[in-house]
Amino acid sequence: MQSWRRKSLWLALSASWLLVLLRVFPLLRLAVPARPWAGAPQGWPRWLDAELLQSFSQPGELPEDDPQLPQAPRGGSCDWGACFDVSKCRGGGLKVFVYPVAGPISDTHRRILASIESSRSRSVSPDEACILLLLSLEAPAGECIPVPQQWNGGRNHLVLSLHPAFCTQTFQLGQAMVAKASPMVDTFRPGFDVALPLLPEAHPLRGGAPGRLGQHSPHPGVPLLALAEERGGWRTAGPDSSACPWDGRCEQDRGPEQTHPGATLPNATFCLIPGHRPDALHFLQALQAGCIPVLLSPRWELPFSEVIDWTKAAIVADERLPFQVVAALQEMPPTRVLALRQQTQFLWDAYFSSVEKVIHTTLEIIQDRIFGASAHPSLLWNSPPGALLALPTFSTSPSDFPFYYLQRGSRPVGRFSALIWVGAPGQLPLKLIQAVAGSQHCAQILVLWSSEKPPPPRWPKTAVPLTVLEGQRKVSDRFFPHRAISTDAILSLDAQSSLTTSEVDFAFVVWQSFPERMVGFLTLSHFWDEARGGWGYTAERANEFSVVLTSAALYHRYYHILFTHYLPKALRALADEAPTCVDILMNFLVAAVTKLPPLKVPYGKQHLEARPPLAPEGLESQPPVQDCINRMAVEFGYMPLVSSRLRLDPVLFKDPVSVLRKKYRSLEKP
Amino acid sequence: MGQARLEWEEEAVCVIMCASVKYNIRGPALIPRMKTKHRIYYVTLFSIVLLGLIATGMFQFWPHSIESSSDWNVEKRSVRDVPVVRLPANSPSPERGDLSCRMHTCFDVYRCGFNPKNKIKVYIYSLKKYVDDAGVPVSNTISREYNELLTAISDSDYYTDDISRACLFVPSIDVLNQNTLRTEETAQALAQLSRWDRGTNHLLFNMLPGGPPDYNTALDVPRDRALLAGGGFSTWTYRQGYDVSIPVYSPLSAEVDLPEKGPGPRRYFLLSSQMAVHPEYREDLEALQARHGESVLVLDKCTNLSEGVLWVRKRCREHQVYDYPQVLQEGTFCVVLRGARLGQAVLSDVLRAGCVPVVIADSYILPFSEVLDWKRASVVVPEEKIPDVYGILQSIPQRQIEEMQRQARWFWEAYFQSIKAIAMATLQIINDRIYPYAALSYEEWNDPPAVKWSSVSNPLFLPLIPPQSQGFTAIVLTYDRVESLFRVITEVSKVPSLSKLLVVWNNQNKNPPEDSVWPKIRVPLKVVRTAENKLSNRFFPYDEIETEAVLAIDDDIIMLTSDELQFGYEVWREFPDRLVGYPGRLHLWDHEMNKWKYESEWTNEVSMVLTGAAFYHKYFNYLYTYKMPGDIKNWVDAHMNCEDIAMNFLVANVTGKAVIKVTPRKKFKCPECTAIDGLSLDQTHMVERSECINKFASVFGTMPLKVVEHRADPVLYKDDFPEKLKSFPNIGSL
Repeated sequence: MQSWRRKSLWLALSASWLLVLLRVFPLLRLAVPARPWAGAPQGWPRWLDAELLQSFSQPGELPEDDPQLPQAPRGGSCDWGACFDVSKCRGGGLKVFVYPVAGPISDTHRRILASIESSRSRSVSPDEACILLLLSLEAPAGECIPVPQQWNGGRNHLVLSLHPAFCTQTFQLGQAMVAKASPMVDTFRPGFDVALPLLPEAHPLRGGAPGRLGQHSPHPGVPLLALAEERGGWRTAGPDSSACPWDGRCEQDRGPEQTHPGATLPNATFCLIPGHRPDALHFLQALQAGCIPVLLSPRWELPFSEVIDWTKAAIVADERLPFQVVAALQEMPPTRVLALRQQTQFLWDAYFSSVEKVIHTTLEIIQDRIFGASAHPSLLWNSPPGALLALPTFSTSPSDFPFYYLQRGSRPVGRFSALIWVGAPGQLPLKLIQAVAGSQHCAQILVLWSSEKPPPPRWPKTAVPLTVLEGQRKVSDRFFPHRAISTDAILSLDAQSSLTTSEVDFAFVVWQSFPERMVGFLTLSHFWDEARGGWGYTAERANEFSVVLTSAALYHRYYHILFTHYLPKALRALADEAPTCVDILMNFLVAAVTKLPPLKVPYGKQHLEARPPLAPEGLESQPPVQDCINRMAVEFGYMPLVSSRLRLDPVLFKDPVSVLRKKYRSLEKP
Repeated sequence: MGQARLEWEEEAVCVIMCASVKYNIRGPALIPRMKTKHRIYYVTLFSIVLLGLIATGMFQFWPHSIESSSDWNVEKRSVRDVPVVRLPANSPSPERGDLSCRMHTCFDVYRCGFNPKNKIKVYIYSLKKYVDDAGVPVSNTISREYNELLTAISDSDYYTDDISRACLFVPSIDVLNQNTLRTEETAQALAQLSRWDRGTNHLLFNMLPGGPPDYNTALDVPRDRALLAGGGFSTWTYRQGYDVSIPVYSPLSAEVDLPEKGPGPRRYFLLSSQMAVHPEYREDLEALQARHGESVLVLDKCTNLSEGVLWVRKRCREHQVYDYPQVLQEGTFCVVLRGARLGQAVLSDVLRAGCVPVVIADSYILPFSEVLDWKRASVVVPEEKIPDVYGILQSIPQRQIEEMQRQARWFWEAYFQSIKAIAMATLQIINDRIYPYAALSYEEWNDPPAVKWSSVSNPLFLPLIPPQSQGFTAIVLTYDRVESLFRVITEVSKVPSLSKLLVVWNNQNKNPPEDSVWPKIRVPLKVVRTAENKLSNRFFPYDEIETEAVLAIDDDIIMLTSDELQFGYEVWREFPDRLVGYPGRLHLWDHEMNKWKYESEWTNEVSMVLTGAAFYHKYFNYLYTYKMPGDIKNWVDAHMNCEDIAMNFLVANVTGKAVIKVTPRKKFKCPECTAIDGLSLDQTHMVERSECINKFASVFGTMPLKVVEHRADPVLYKDDFPEKLKSFPNIGSL
């Protein structure tokens, strides 16, 4: 009994001591810093009479009854509202006049002229022009040019110089906008001038080299940093040698560094670029290589900074804090590195990889300023496929385009419009109309009558409305954005096509998951023909494909807009000349926009036997047609087609389970 | 003397020591003494407990008492009692503002130092009253708004009271309104601040710059290098990337209670509510009203208001009287026209009413334009285009207008509604410049909460088909089924694109077999031993994984052919941001039970793939290990189940995309399992899996899984085509 009591007493005793210790220790710890803060005031005081304080602006007091009209622009500085006359810019397209160049045209000039011609702008006389474009202040012989005739103080002029000119401002530029490579921050007029990238001499006119990024995340072995060197190369430093990333400032502890004298593209996660102007050239290299540019207090304006959100692709850091910069880079979370890397590649591909893209972007920025409220929203500039491919004339709302469903957390709703192109006179596609109209997803049927014969007055009765459109008897007609198309999805068909209702149903469900791609039934594949030294394509069934035939394909109606308003006229003319080329052209376009292959869905064998071949067979024997793929590749500047090795089938397709369980059972008919 | 004290001390020690010795000597001999001994125990115990209580009490109340005493001593003071500082007439004055200032030239970034929290530290000078030689005050001591602003900074994380640690200094000299101060003398007052140093790292807040007659668009007080947060900058005075453009605060924001009104068409298409409008512009607006009738409302000052009516709160058109700012809620678009100053407080009222501002003020730098995308919330019209404004606005589609109305209201809520909001946004902008790696993104600044919630930003957004040459790393999670494991290794090693094999040995009680026993394969094989038998070890981002593609495969999946695996890798290359797997599963809504149900039957749809055999990007390993929401990761490890469902949830949630199931269905049964009461085992399994789905859906707050009706097969699968010409002939065979 007593020992029990004693035990319990000891227990209580030690417990209370523990309690005391626990309480006293933090108290001792607190007591030390407590002293200095005891006397000092804590933050901004709560004034006793805070309620009685007067407001900074007394409504009666504002002496604004006599507002003035705007002051004249000061000191040659200009902004968009004050120095640009928008009234001349009404009407479709950007009206541009390019001053002719006296004497022989230089290579750069020729390229710029060519890219302006291929843009969506129109050339007009100087009196009607919205923008008068002066390509350079330098005459070919080297002397500076005199003030042009229609100069008018530079109003509505754009002085474009892709390469730093020797002739800087021989005459007052005044109200002219200046688009030049890497302008100095001090002289740049935001919202008025345009900052261009500093391009290397041999920058390609079209297409351009694709980004170097082969994978999304950095390879584990890759060095953390590469430093731009004055001679034009890059020096890489391993992740451990962060102590001294600066050239010349300290000499010891270089760590495992290598010098690549000849290498033009850095291979690292981050690329440090000093802030002086000549280093701007490194910026594009880093962008192309997928190396995240870290700009150290740049004295020059970042290219197209008016529209491009560079915080998503580059880091502007303070050169005075080198160690902090390196420490912050080392600790950057993988998620951010991943996002920055991908954005560099997207921007390179969308706006910088060719002279043409740079020029088009410049014009697009000016066009956006003219459009005002109906310009590209920031999202369209800063996410794939980029503003050059997302035309604001179509819509300014991202939800109308096929590219942004995911970002907005939605998927396409609604149904599709079947667009049946009737080119040659022949049998009416009655069976096809019934099959398509039978689909629960079909909203309307449009017959595009492109034949010499007048369309028949009577059409079969269908469950959905049927409209006959008169075409222009051109093949490219089928990709015209007809007003009658009321849905986002279009099922493009030929009079000769043959499809079943379940094939259409399944294809539409697949398209809803991939609204930016083309979903087709019959395919072609392209290949590089060594013997002929050019591209070729074949309709033979193969293990991969890169083109779906538009005689039976589902895609977003926005591609009609792009086909008609984005593609250069020359390409569309080519398609009209050789009708079979139109399939390839449409596939080129979609692949160039999405950088992804089309999708193939199952297509019943019975069609292939029952009807004349849908794919133009024996193409190989027709050199001019075979040639159109090469001419297009030249026009695009590269080969955009991407191959795929898969077909999307229904989940239970040909599985050993009762047909009754299967939703798309008629796809399995032998 | 020293000797004597020493002795005294010894004696004192003896009093205690000797007493205890005495007791010890008597010891156990005296039984009745036990009681007194007990009493001593009780007393000691009691005193100790008491001591503890006292200590506790002191600990609890001491710091509070310090605060309350400082409240008394320092804080409860009147503004009128602040110390007076006399400025001699010849005291130095700063240079005028330096227009070429940029962060890297005029800002001393060294003061901001390295800061793990990436937060600048802001110091506020204490309040003083400045008078000139004659004793005339230089300015009003402090306005209500500036007091609020300094209070907000002081209450925020940015604040520091240690001047030597501060990165940014905010003078307590109130320059919000230039009209209430004498510019030269205020400048002298600034110059004598203890850390002024040409104004480096000092931040001034000014909302009403300039004064009659020419109304400069930036504060006229000479301020040298100080940063200016100004309301009403023009392109000529604004130092891009250095100054901060802030709104002109509208006192009505606090005074008037205005319930939110949703977007949509409103009674007036265009509304003008400003009183001080230049006569020429008023003419233009009246002309618009005459032309478009009822849909345009141009209001003016009321001339014949009865006494006692607050004229600031009323607007008139002819004899009709309207309440302001309530009338703004009747307008779809509201004109914000420049007055003598570019920045107008009406902008704040207009945004609050959810009316889209039509900003007509050439060269005006809109508030926070460095970070806010005003194109989404406003229409900017050049002054000379006032006559065309109606046409310009009508060309905007209705959907876009509603978007802008929503955005306008959100801007007000986030950045305009209080002095505190304005101060915090200003500091955040400066903070973002100094710590660019931690800067807020465009979306964080501009997207309203509803959009932030619903939108998905795919971490692998770049459309890219990784090169085939990279290959994939197979990760086999195993416990002790060595024989089966070896078979899997042998099978997988036949796949041409395999570049490395990683065995995760999850058994701590048993060593993996010796090197010589392992199958000899053509690619590197690496065994990783784990510290604990956890399912999440399968998804750990091991350094050994060098390829982007990862194949997770169980140690009993021996039925997949090399063609099937190679084809799976090819499919992954076309969909590198998705889970690409073999056995597919589905989640269904059980209407009877009102919850989610797991389904493994032959269905026409899939929403998940099992990670017993699946390809995915290695980045998802990082996400699973470090970014899994809630307690899912621990829950999975504790229950030893559902790690694959968790992975499916994670990937679908972050990418917004569905899985890709490849190749036809197979019987996935492990050869070693014997069917012991297979049915009931199956059923408990299904119940557990359903529970997982419900648990995860509640943690994610949504059901991220996407249902699709397709799977991927080789192009020529089951086509009437010579088998030997097919790339992947051996697909679907059992």
